[in-house]
Amino acid sequence: MEVIDPPVPRVRPKPKRLRYLVAGGLCAAAVLFLVVGGLSRNIVYFRTVSEAVKSKPSEGTHRFRLMGAVVSGSTQRTTDGVVFDVTDGSNRVRVVHHGDPPELFKDGIPVVCEGRWQGDSFDSDRIMIKHGAEYKPPAVDASK
Amino acid sequence: MKGALGFGGLTLGFMAAALGVVTMGVGIHRRDGRIMATGRQFVFMVLLGALVAAGAMEWALVTHDFSLAYVVKNHSRSTPLLYTVAALWGALEGSILLWALVLSGYLTVTVRRLRARASDPLVAWATLVGLVVAAFFFALMLGPANPFRPTKGLIPADGLGPNPLLQNHPLMAVHPPMLYLGYVGMTIPFSFAIAALVTGRVGEGWLLETRRATLVAWAFLSVGIVLGAWWSYEVLGWGGYWAWDPVENASFIPWLTATAFLHSVVVQERRGMLRVWNLSLIIATFCLTILGTFLTRSGVLNSVHAFSQSSIGAWLLTFLGLAAATGLGLIAWRGDRLRTPGRIDSPVSREGAFLANNLLFAGFAFVVLLGTVFPLVVEALRDEKLSVGEPYFDRMTTPIGLALLFLMAVAPALPWRAASRAVLRRRLAAPAWFGALVMAACAVLGVRGVAELAAFGLGAFAVAGIVRQYALGVAATRRAAAGSGSGVGWVGALRRTVAGNRRLYGGLVVHVGVVVIAVALAASMGYTTKREFHLAPGERGSLHGYHFTYLGTATHETGQKTTIQARVRVQRGGRTLGVYGPALSIFPNSPQAIGTPSGRTGLVRDVYLTLVSSSGPDGRVTIGAQLSPLVLWLWVGGGVIFFGTGVAVWRPIRRSRRRAETAPEPLEPAAPPVPSVDEDVMAEAPA
Repeated sequence: MEVIDPPVPRVRPKPKRLRYLVAGGLCAAAVLFLVVGGLSRNIVYFRTVSEAVKSKPSEGTHRFRLMGAVVSGSTQRTTDGVVFDVTDGSNRVRVVHHGDPPELFKDGIPVVCEGRWQGDSFDSDRIMIKHGAEYKPPAVDASK
Repeated sequence: MKGALGFGGLTLGFMAAALGVVTMGVGIHRRDGRIMATGRQFVFMVLLGALVAAGAMEWALVTHDFSLAYVVKNHSRSTPLLYTVAALWGALEGSILLWALVLSGYLTVTVRRLRARASDPLVAWATLVGLVVAAFFFALMLGPANPFRPTKGLIPADGLGPNPLLQNHPLMAVHPPMLYLGYVGMTIPFSFAIAALVTGRVGEGWLLETRRATLVAWAFLSVGIVLGAWWSYEVLGWGGYWAWDPVENASFIPWLTATAFLHSVVVQERRGMLRVWNLSLIIATFCLTILGTFLTRSGVLNSVHAFSQSSIGAWLLTFLGLAAATGLGLIAWRGDRLRTPGRIDSPVSREGAFLANNLLFAGFAFVVLLGTVFPLVVEALRDEKLSVGEPYFDRMTTPIGLALLFLMAVAPALPWRAASRAVLRRRLAAPAWFGALVMAACAVLGVRGVAELAAFGLGAFAVAGIVRQYALGVAATRRAAAGSGSGVGWVGALRRTVAGNRRLYGGLVVHVGVVVIAVALAASMGYTTKREFHLAPGERGSLHGYHFTYLGTATHETGQKTTIQARVRVQRGGRTLGVYGPALSIFPNSPQAIGTPSGRTGLVRDVYLTLVSSSGPDGRVTIGAQLSPLVLWLWVGGGVIFFGTGVAVWRPIRRSRRRAETAPEPLEPAAPPVPSVDEDVMAEAPA
């Protein structure tokens, strides 16, 4: 009881179809261009403190995520947030954070701050605390 | 012992699936219906194996059997029962077990439903493909993802307990099973698509066989996604419900392609067109569910280098590659049969709108997929870690979403083949005016965002069109009933109308749910305000007429967790709305504090309070307050979608039994499509 569809006779492509194909191709290319453009404008790189220092001249005011450990004793409260240093063991960067740090924020813990260079310090508006389920930074001696 | 029992279940499941594949293959090769019928029986043994394995795991969890490594990692004596049961899907191995269980359930239902047709090659091949997928997942558990691996060394007295995020809200017990019911259900239409290609019966038969299974799976997937957003809102405490996180996207991308599929099959059923497209869509949907499992379960998101630590990622990627290659290869091989004579006569027609809908859904899926996978590709190729910011997703998907909303308003009113201007005017003018009025009213009331205005206006346009279609249908039914001398009331007529074309009217209800969600999304994304207050006891902060007074903090300790709860009195216009308790919980197995937001849920807006940080040396706490409009309607919309799909697939039991007895059904319905597909067209077709 096998029923098989008879093969459909090949339809001679009409010249109109070519025009549709070209139009469709152009549309697809335009969409691709927009999407890739949108993507490249919204990429946020992760940088360790040393990488961030190295790429500072080329970074400009691009946003990126800075990874490092909070240097013990460097944290001070400001009117709208906190200022602290982060390190990856070899370099140190001052982070000016706007907003309250999260509950777990304390000396020595690894953090990821999102923001951009502002002069010699890093202007952050988002602090993420790293924990088990996420990316672990290389172990650093935060007491340096 | 439970370990041995569970492993026995897995072995039984794998052996039954493998033997079933072989038996089916032999039966198909020899065209022997009796062998195929035997092969079919193996599906029940696969289900038995999965049930035994899952039962053994639950038994081990409930009885604190720490001789199993999985129980040690995901359970502790202090874990409440609900989260103990839910620990089955709390981690990789258990979730693969759940996957296998759900798949064998779906296979069993499908095989039982088509039991009179076990020797039909299409059904036989579909069963074979389903069994291959089942065999793969059982093999995963016999190999790299064995849930019954014994504890190494001494058996500990207590376990670590589930991930804190997974034991903080009861939704965790519902959300993953729903998602899996959706994900795994896509295997059924995929199996039939492959079977259709192999047997060469690439007409509409396979679509009709899987119509309900696909709808059911889609409904579960939709609800699973909405519940996931709700969980995120209730647990994560950042005030949002969707962050374009790769784990969220992993469930959303197959939903997009499945939704496209649900729409484009209608064109194939009706006009016989889009065969290749439909086959590709369902194969893509299946592959995307495997990709989603790979993304969420292989550890690749933490770092592509974590991927090499377990072989599960390689297994899933290989399987994904095989599924995609098989699908594409078969489509190429069957190319000659897949060509269809039908053409789209006019872009302004129902099929034209369906095509546009499909291109938009496919584009949507591509945008989200690109943003999700791009960081992984870059990290793998250039060893550079990056993330794609939310603005990419928001900016790219908002116009697509609005375009889809527009189509949703227009398409159901378009006739097939071509629309005359008069028909368009008659069907769309009133709803369009209504939409424009709502948009104007919103603008007067102070809505300024272009996207928000468009969403509200288009939503109103769509709903007005749906109401019109229902009204016309019910009125026609009443007229017909009155004409035959047996008048019916409005409710009776509504019931009869819906029963006459469940897919259309159920689908329209689903559209209402989508509008509700779209409006809630636009409102809550565009008009949420939040602020953080640093308060000492007795101090008060204000936001948009709401006043928040911090009363004090209390600490509760249970074996499961330690909770620090702030008490905050919320007042508005001198009236006290209540005292709420946003909290932070510390679980013994994690250094991470888990927030439990608290607040007032309302029809118009949610007041959402979080404890950002507990009292420092100065006795002050930081309280986050957020006012988000219409958030409640996101969850309501999810419910409406589920209900609407239920309306579409519901079939009274008596009728389905009769159908099974009269099987086999015609395989390739050459008959003209069901005339009742579009009452509206019938009612208004030019004479």
